[in-house]
Amino acid sequence: MNEYAVRVAAQLRQRYANEPEYLQSVQAWLEMVEPALDDPRYEKLDLLTRMVEPERMFTFLVPWVDDKGVAHTNHGYRVQFSSAIGPYKGGLRFHPDVTPSVVKFLGFEQTYKNALTGLPIGGAAGGADFDPKGKSNREIMRFCQSFMNALYRYIGADTDVPAGDIGVGAREIGYLYGQYKRISGQAESSALTGKGLTYGGSKVRQEAAGFGTIYFLARMLEHQGDTMVGKKIAASGFGNMTWGVCRKAAELGGKVVTLSGPDGYVYDPDGVCTQEKFDFMLEMRASGQDKVAPYARKFGVEFFPGKKPWEVQADVVIPCATQNELDVEDAIQILANDVRYYVEAANMPATAEALKLLRLSPKILTAGAKASGSGGVAVSALEMAQNSIRYNWTRKEVDDRLRDIMSSIYDASAAAAEEYGLGYDLIAGNDIAAFKKISEAMIAQGL
Amino acid sequence: MGIQNEYLNDLMERVIRRDPAEPEFHQAVREVLTTLAPVVNARPELITEGIMDYLVEPERTIKFRVPWEDDQGKIHVNRGYRIQFNSAIGPYKGGLRFHPSVNEGIIKFLGFEQTFKNSLTGLPIGGGKGGSDFDPKGKSDAEVMRFCQSFMNELFKYIGPDTDVPAGDIGVGAREIGYLFGQYKRLRNEFTGVLTGKGLTYGGSLARKEATGYGLCYFTDNMLKSAGRSFDGATVVISGAGNVATYACEKATSLGAKVVAMCDSNGYVYDPEGIDLALMKQVKEVERQRIRVYAERRPGAQYHEGCSGIWQVPCDIALPCATQNELNLDSAKALIKNGCFAVAEGANMPCTPEAVDAFQEAGILFAPAKAANAGGVAVSALEMSQNSMRFFWSFEEVDDRLKTIMTDLYHNASNAAAQYGMEGNLVAGANIAGFLKVANSMLAYGVV
Repeated sequence: MNEYAVRVAAQLRQRYANEPEYLQSVQAWLEMVEPALDDPRYEKLDLLTRMVEPERMFTFLVPWVDDKGVAHTNHGYRVQFSSAIGPYKGGLRFHPDVTPSVVKFLGFEQTYKNALTGLPIGGAAGGADFDPKGKSNREIMRFCQSFMNALYRYIGADTDVPAGDIGVGAREIGYLYGQYKRISGQAESSALTGKGLTYGGSKVRQEAAGFGTIYFLARMLEHQGDTMVGKKIAASGFGNMTWGVCRKAAELGGKVVTLSGPDGYVYDPDGVCTQEKFDFMLEMRASGQDKVAPYARKFGVEFFPGKKPWEVQADVVIPCATQNELDVEDAIQILANDVRYYVEAANMPATAEALKLLRLSPKILTAGAKASGSGGVAVSALEMAQNSIRYNWTRKEVDDRLRDIMSSIYDASAAAAEEYGLGYDLIAGNDIAAFKKISEAMIAQGL
Repeated sequence: MGIQNEYLNDLMERVIRRDPAEPEFHQAVREVLTTLAPVVNARPELITEGIMDYLVEPERTIKFRVPWEDDQGKIHVNRGYRIQFNSAIGPYKGGLRFHPSVNEGIIKFLGFEQTFKNSLTGLPIGGGKGGSDFDPKGKSDAEVMRFCQSFMNELFKYIGPDTDVPAGDIGVGAREIGYLFGQYKRLRNEFTGVLTGKGLTYGGSLARKEATGYGLCYFTDNMLKSAGRSFDGATVVISGAGNVATYACEKATSLGAKVVAMCDSNGYVYDPEGIDLALMKQVKEVERQRIRVYAERRPGAQYHEGCSGIWQVPCDIALPCATQNELNLDSAKALIKNGCFAVAEGANMPCTPEAVDAFQEAGILFAPAKAANAGGVAVSALEMSQNSMRFFWSFEEVDDRLKTIMTDLYHNASNAAAQYGMEGNLVAGANIAGFLKVANSMLAYGVV
């Protein structure tokens, strides 16, 4: 391992000993970009330290009153990680597990994910240890308003543009934007993304993540002289991301044969390919029950309670649900099933060991979330662009641009892997290409 | 020939009396007022509404101290300038020059010229200029960075994407723009299109390197077509081997011309088969060798010491793209004698005034730098557009827009010349067209 990188990692471990998620993601990244570190300027300019630590971080209290008049105090964060290539950009997460470490880890990953979209967005993340579950709309609104009362002074269209993440969906973005607009006195719509269609949102945003993953997969298939037609895809989850994957896969001639939830998975040999099935996914999501079994009853297919979809024979595996949903045993099963493509849509869906196993196996081609999962943030950036020109693109215009962006992320990843002698390792290639872009911008802008 | 208008003559004298120590500015004002006299004679409101007086006075001049520390710990103090000359048609826009010769008069002269040049592009950019008497030569990267940061510590108060958007100029290239942008971003905590000429990783535009050379050919192509001629099948001589010359060569060739000669500051190559651009790029851009090496590797090509000889090479079209005053009266006579029918300036002021007169007398199509090499500033403005919309255009999209801009620019200049009875005189036409847009906007604003 590069000596300077080892030293930076050691300093980080000492300084942030109580931040395991952050340290883990930095360590994994340093290993991935190692082949690109042999440039003496990096150490001379102490570039690595500046690339793995945030430029700025805010911590603030968020007091709010529940429906019974009881006051609560949560902890809010915003990490402005990197502005090397554009205004800070990244989601807000409202979840009890949110800590400085989690927010820093998310901001770090976001920086390198945003870089390859080719759009001018830096990296950031934020949130609060607030749990939206079981709260009334009014409570959510009051929390969002209090959160924004603190956050507004740090964000802005040219400075920092938050978006949603876990616990922050359309409802929360609406309340946050309403309060921002009220305090700042400006309808500065590109200060937040993920907005509703009536007040500055972009078309295709709901489908963006899933569509993006399928566009990325299409380029991998093309590289192998193959096409989507007739491909069997095992996907997890049944939310927005899975919904987008099913629709775009069907459009290009493939079929998603599994959906999953916390209760198990369903196997649909005909594929989730009809409008009726797409719509039913939305119904299941809207019911709030978080169960996939109703799909099996509705369409007369088999339900496997308590199981994961990775045991199914398929050509392609696309994890769309959540972090670490796929472990080493699952990876071994996937390899045994002769699956040929593993393409991540969710963030960090595989454990480190599972991903390593898949990535290094010659039997299967792999793409990481930072590349194949960046459709969501790409359309966020397109939302900013539309807000800036004060004009909305049609559905087709957004979709075409999304496809071009995913294609250029693929090209950059493949080219970097090739350049550094890593063959067709798209995961390492993606990290290296993003590293090169940001390091070049940082060197150009001085200390 | 003096200024053919009494009021303008008086104005000229007042300009000199007010700032007697600025000869470059006086010269630029005199040139412009001379070509504008016919317009002012036809439109007296330009005088009564004060427009001509506004035009020769910058809206604002900012002068400031720039202290910095060298690598030995020694303190130096330079002087910084930003002249916000005219915002009638858009935010102030113009380069920063770091060179020991910089003083207020030079920056003022450059800002004055920039106002008309920017106007001519048809894009919403006003005129400005700035810089410092700092000499980047022989300075370390760290020293240049510290100077740029100190310079920006003062300048950031006066600029912004809607206010004033500086770019590079002599002594301010990609490196300096990077340091200036980094410091602006740090002070303001805003990532905006506040500077142009940025690197591709942090907001720069594609096709910037090609912009001036391509733009020159697009302009020339329009000029040729209006005279029933074209690049197709024409023999072309291009002086220079930098970005402007290289990409002019590329575009002219793709339009069907045969480029037979190019030069650097040591000498020129004559290649009767037509310049092999791939080899030229290899020699000049990749290996950074002298142009002589091209002739050594290319069968049939000859190398000649000295640069001025390049104008003795017979050609149909001459594109001087090297440096100021590189083409004098003798060279002009040689070109005319050899049957050259068009000259277009890619460099800034490459033809001496006598040479320009000779071309115009001989009826040769002549494209002045102010119009013909505006492709660079046009793509700067397109960089601003892309930054504002937080989206990037592909190379083809930028190139298409550049082509449209240069075509419109040609017709504006050509029509303005015709309207004031100087048909075919693009020098006057460019001055008039650039002026009219600024003047008409100022008339709309009243006395402000």
